[in-house]
Amino acid sequence: MSKLSPTLARVLLWSLCALVLSGSSRTRADEAATRGFFEAHCLKCHDTETHKGGLDLTALKPEFASPENFARWVKVHDRIASGEMPPRNQPRPPAAEIKSVATWLNQTLTAADRARLDRDGRTLVRRMTRAEYENTVRDLFDLPGIALQGGLPADGMAHGFDKNSDALDISHVNMAKYVEAADHALDLAIATQPKPPTLLKQRISLARHVGHILGNGDAVLLKDKGLDPNYPPAGDQPHIGQGAHEQIGSFNTGSSVGVFRHEDESFNPYFLDFATLYPGRYRIRASFWGFQWDQGKVLPARGIEAARLSAVQLGEDGRGGGHPSYVLGYYDAPSLEAQMHEFVTWLNFKETIGFNTASLAPALNYNRKGRAMAFTGPGIACDWLDIEGPLHDVWPPRGHRVLFGELPLIKLKPTDQKGVRAPRRKVLNQEIVHVTNRPDPVSGLWTVHSEQPPADADRLLATFLPRAFRRPVEDSVRAQYVEQVTARLKAGDCFETAMRWVYRAALCSPDFLHHLEPSGTLDDHAMACRLSYFLWNSMPDETLTELAASGKLREANVLRDQVERLLNDPRSQRFIEDFLGQWLRLRQIAANDPDRKLYPEFSPYLQDSMVAETRAYFRELIARDLDASYLVKSDFAMINEKLATHYGIPGVHGSAIRRVTLPPDCPRGGFLTQASILKITANGTTTSPVPRGAFVMARLLGKPPEPPPPNIAAVEPDVQGATTIREQLAKHRSDASCASCHAKIDPPGFALETFDVIGGERTRYRSIGQGDPAPRGSIDPFIGIGFKLGPPVDASGVLPDQRKFRDIHEFRSLLAADSTVLLKNLTQQLAIYGTGRDLGFSDREEIDDLVERTQKNGGGVRTLIHELIQSKLFHTK
Amino acid sequence: MNSRTFSLRRTPSPLAVLMSVALSAVASRADEKPAPAKPSEIKHTITGLCCREREDDLRAAAKKMMGVTLLSVDFENSEATFAYDPATLFPQEKPERFIELFDNLLKSASTHTFGVKAPSRLPRDKLTLIEIPVLGLDCKGCCLGTYHSIYRIEGVERATASFKECRVTALIDPAKTNRAALEKALKDAGVMLKEPGK
Repeated sequence: MSKLSPTLARVLLWSLCALVLSGSSRTRADEAATRGFFEAHCLKCHDTETHKGGLDLTALKPEFASPENFARWVKVHDRIASGEMPPRNQPRPPAAEIKSVATWLNQTLTAADRARLDRDGRTLVRRMTRAEYENTVRDLFDLPGIALQGGLPADGMAHGFDKNSDALDISHVNMAKYVEAADHALDLAIATQPKPPTLLKQRISLARHVGHILGNGDAVLLKDKGLDPNYPPAGDQPHIGQGAHEQIGSFNTGSSVGVFRHEDESFNPYFLDFATLYPGRYRIRASFWGFQWDQGKVLPARGIEAARLSAVQLGEDGRGGGHPSYVLGYYDAPSLEAQMHEFVTWLNFKETIGFNTASLAPALNYNRKGRAMAFTGPGIACDWLDIEGPLHDVWPPRGHRVLFGELPLIKLKPTDQKGVRAPRRKVLNQEIVHVTNRPDPVSGLWTVHSEQPPADADRLLATFLPRAFRRPVEDSVRAQYVEQVTARLKAGDCFETAMRWVYRAALCSPDFLHHLEPSGTLDDHAMACRLSYFLWNSMPDETLTELAASGKLREANVLRDQVERLLNDPRSQRFIEDFLGQWLRLRQIAANDPDRKLYPEFSPYLQDSMVAETRAYFRELIARDLDASYLVKSDFAMINEKLATHYGIPGVHGSAIRRVTLPPDCPRGGFLTQASILKITANGTTTSPVPRGAFVMARLLGKPPEPPPPNIAAVEPDVQGATTIREQLAKHRSDASCASCHAKIDPPGFALETFDVIGGERTRYRSIGQGDPAPRGSIDPFIGIGFKLGPPVDASGVLPDQRKFRDIHEFRSLLAADSTVLLKNLTQQLAIYGTGRDLGFSDREEIDDLVERTQKNGGGVRTLIHELIQSKLFHTK
Repeated sequence: MNSRTFSLRRTPSPLAVLMSVALSAVASRADEKPAPAKPSEIKHTITGLCCREREDDLRAAAKKMMGVTLLSVDFENSEATFAYDPATLFPQEKPERFIELFDNLLKSASTHTFGVKAPSRLPRDKLTLIEIPVLGLDCKGCCLGTYHSIYRIEGVERATASFKECRVTALIDPAKTNRAALEKALKDAGVMLKEPGK
């Protein structure tokens, strides 16, 4: 340990004095004590010569304008305050001395941080995220499924979320895409005909679209829960000539289709009689049932099977196929009993409906002797799918009325409108081959008519601009838009085109794209926005806007009522999905596909169920106001049959997620042991305690570990089964530079070694090399098992505070016992997400107060959301 | 189809003669007040009549053809007799196109599973009947698919494929094709041939 040189000591003392004078009211005695503390306990290791851990305190100047410098001082404070420094192997300073120094640093750093916030503001101006933008356009124009996100550049991420201004840059690329998006929204919103499109009602048989697999025995035609006599199942001989069968009408008989084959690389069936021409709401009905097939006999099913319907975006003329754009849902197919499912969904241009036998294991008959007549196994029957739409309860639609109010649509006669440019209309054609729905005949060119354009423009913009900009708009601003309308009219545009021009400009303006908040305390309109973008991820509705306009929104009881209303509204699902997508990284659920040899039981249905569980669980925490210990431990789970089978929990049937009481000693319950989290923290082939431990520290405990030092090779788990990851990490930890961090990171990861890469519980690692034959367990009998069982799993560990745990049960209990840490972290995560900024050092006191108030009121998650929204933190820019 | 129309022109069949007569009658009365034309009974060679079960399909298709009545079906000879007036059905068309036009009509009415063609120019005794036992043809669609696989071979004048009799038959011009060519075409289409003695 080197001695402090006189020169360096003087530099340090100067720094400390400056620090004291700049921000503290400490007495000279305290100042001397602080100086003494640093000299006695810190400089031995953290001077210029040694600078252990890369920290040279003598060079650390009290310049807080530099974020990096400030962060270093915060780290110094945190290490001292937590007792981590001085290290255990050094003499411990008296507790009072530690407290004194920590308090001094705390006050100094808080003052410096507040000065920064007073200067810069807390939340910088930021644009909407892609999700916020899409939701805002959807709500503004009542276009609840318009797809815009995919066309916008990806958002960055800072402090764990994409809502932070640090991550939300804007470029010419963004602007070009905003123009495209605005045009697309206006295309959909503006009515171009005096009547709604003809209501289509179409019943579609899957048979017409799976002829090839019917012919080779991967599906069969069924009538009245038995064989279709006109189209026997394929046996030794496949059906000859799919075209001949199509010509002769074999697939147009109204028969049900019993499908054995799961979707795969070359099989993605769609109901391709239909492809959307008019984006809008459509009512879908479908009838499914399950059965057991036994070499030509239709028998009762093994249980409730699940069929998946999805919206499939087709490209060009549809010949190239398409992939499921998004899942519409999983639907029960009870044994030999047709169940009709009905729902209304939004469909975009060229979207059709896809089908999959979600609950079935991949089974192929086409290349097996005897095909369907030699096959015994489960099947899902689809009787039919009805599609009805587009559904309109008013015409012109609401989006059109937002733009043009009650102005009439007239048929434009070019001879009557000399010198006026008519609006351009896209010619609508059915571009997808094979489908049968066609566009309505065009009945001329219809457009909005105004008898007094400038006055109507002013009136329409007076309503539209405040709505779009989410706050009152000054007359002078509106006048600028009206001037543009007038200019466009003079240039020869018709009224619709001129108005469209300014609407597009408004949708691309900073007033629309950015969250503009006043400095200091938020006003009512800014509060309405912050609230709605927090809990709905979208713009305020009329109720919030009216309350803001009346100046009542910020009254505590009004605000409380509104939070309740927003949380109880279906739109709060957007918050749950967006928040969990980032906090728990659910967006990365499909970042890797599990190795098929090691995890053959993995399926898209399982993955979707995983995500649904985590979302439903968080919703349950909010709905029942459960406390933070439930983040890691609970006596219930939100699961369906697929997950229940995966978790080894009996008695759950069907595809619906529901609350299930867990058996005693079940390791499930809480986010920590949910399959989604366990999959996200693995790489698809192996697990490692390091990323999982880091995830627990950062996401659940609020203590993100330091990034690994450079030039340190990553630990590569051994899938051959020769060594365990724990053995490899032990070598890694023998390096002193790694040991200190890994002592904190690894223990949570060790506990989670109880679970494999898809969240299955295990006592031995799976191996594709050495090992013993693996029992089937709950794996579907139609799934081949090629993996072996390798070394046993050791899920024990020691926490940094020396508390020991033997397994995941004990580890969860240790975490749950310190629910304040969990609650504080959740508070921080919600605060960052809800306010769109990182938390400063000076916010710590407010966070601690929030946690305390929440705990006094029961500690529930719903209570926490209320307390956060009532807090000064939330009310301040 | 063009080659068959051409052959019709060079070697007038009884049907063409019949049509010419009917047309002449229509032309001769052109200056008179038009009276409802009396349908003629016209026999056509039918394509796509691959098995007896398809006779009903032919009747159903004929019902969709305005101005046409199906009078009888002769499965053995792949022939059917219709009642219609060609001049009314195909106004302003030349008689040599009538078969082609009737073929189009029948195809439209039967989703292209039936058609008509000119009768074979070869007498029956110059044709050879080939019978090929097959396995597993279990529906009309399979029969039609099997039929398509061999009927398109040049030299095949008539064909049947029966799932009840597990048999494919073809009346061929031995100068143009043979049994081996038929068997290869069947195998290529995925039809399993019954092995001798089994």
